[in-house]
Amino acid sequence: MPRWIPPLVAIIIGIALGLIYGWVISPVQFVDTTPNSLRADYRADYVLMVAETYHANQDAGLAARRLAIFGGDAPATISAQALQTGQASGYAPNDISMLQELTRAMQAYQPVPTAVESTP
Amino acid sequence: MKRFPWEWLIAIVVGFSLGLLYAWVISPVRYIDITPNTLRADFKDQFRIAIAASYASTHDLGRAKARLALLGDSDSNQALTAQSQRMLAAGESIDVVQQVAQLAANLLGGVAQIQPSATATATVSQKTAMPTTAATGSETDAPTIPVESPTIESTPAIVFTPTPRPTHTPVPTPGAPYILIAQDTVCNSNLTDGLMQITVIDKHNRQIPGVEIIISWSGGEEHFFTGLKPEIANGYADYIMQAGISYTVRVAEAGTPAPNLTAPNCPDSGGQTYTGGLHLTFQQP
Repeated sequence: MPRWIPPLVAIIIGIALGLIYGWVISPVQFVDTTPNSLRADYRADYVLMVAETYHANQDAGLAARRLAIFGGDAPATISAQALQTGQASGYAPNDISMLQELTRAMQAYQPVPTAVESTP
Repeated sequence: MKRFPWEWLIAIVVGFSLGLLYAWVISPVRYIDITPNTLRADFKDQFRIAIAASYASTHDLGRAKARLALLGDSDSNQALTAQSQRMLAAGESIDVVQQVAQLAANLLGGVAQIQPSATATATVSQKTAMPTTAATGSETDAPTIPVESPTIESTPAIVFTPTPRPTHTPVPTPGAPYILIAQDTVCNSNLTDGLMQITVIDKHNRQIPGVEIIISWSGGEEHFFTGLKPEIANGYADYIMQAGISYTVRVAEAGTPAPNLTAPNCPDSGGQTYTGGLHLTFQQP
């Protein structure tokens, strides 16, 4: 048997042990995650909460700010994705209706630009 | 005597290190479909705000409970109460604070019961299902006695585990004005002179945090909130009265005013008098 075989076998065994330890026994723990990592149905449910609130107060600005929790996507995109998830998941018609209402509102929503003070 | 196989041990250690490097750094376990209970604390706060706002709109306590359960708090009521107090202290919008506080208060009431859907889709994985519920139109804002709503819509759940699907449930007497139900003179020389102690409770005698108190007198008015001294009670607030001034207190804008409140004179053990206090209890009927 060539001399290099035993060390190679030992390294392979070590790699296997390392992978088992790193992936199974002690995997990387994520405890402080962000909402954009949420599973699609949880995201959709959050958007549904926003839609329920929007249905009651018709405050598009507040809805857009609450949707911003998911990060960079536009509020209309977030809402549309939630609507798709809701439709695919068999949401109740009333919930779908509210998600559609929110999506339309977010598509029409234009953020009010912050006033900038002019300097002399 | 056979030599210890150091080269084997070294090779295994090297291999183990390579494996760990790959598993922890190059290709760690990826969590892309996480559940809300792993969210960072501030995002959980945002979720609670959204749940409370949604509840304020729909009055669907069952759905709110199911959503709160996803956050993994050991005591949702306590989490909401603590959050409302943090928000008060941080000067956040009173409307939002009141929504959170109202949900905390109503959680204790148990005006809704959750029953599992009879037609929940068969479980295809061990993942937790979202708390999707079906709106069945039983919602009403009428200030009536809460009615248990065991009727469950049998709309299919999205997949995964059977999920409670409660119907809309009325919230107890939303917006009913608080009234003064008890006024006691407090003669305790250990307390601050002129201390007005206020307790705000709901119809079930539970203390309510985050409620605005408005105290006015000739030439002035102040606003403060219950719940800022949770070490005393969640529905507690206090104010220092000046001797000889008549105050009017009401709870929230719509509360019934309690007029002509003055700091009483109390006798001490030496025959002298000192300025005592009042304890007012307001209740939302």
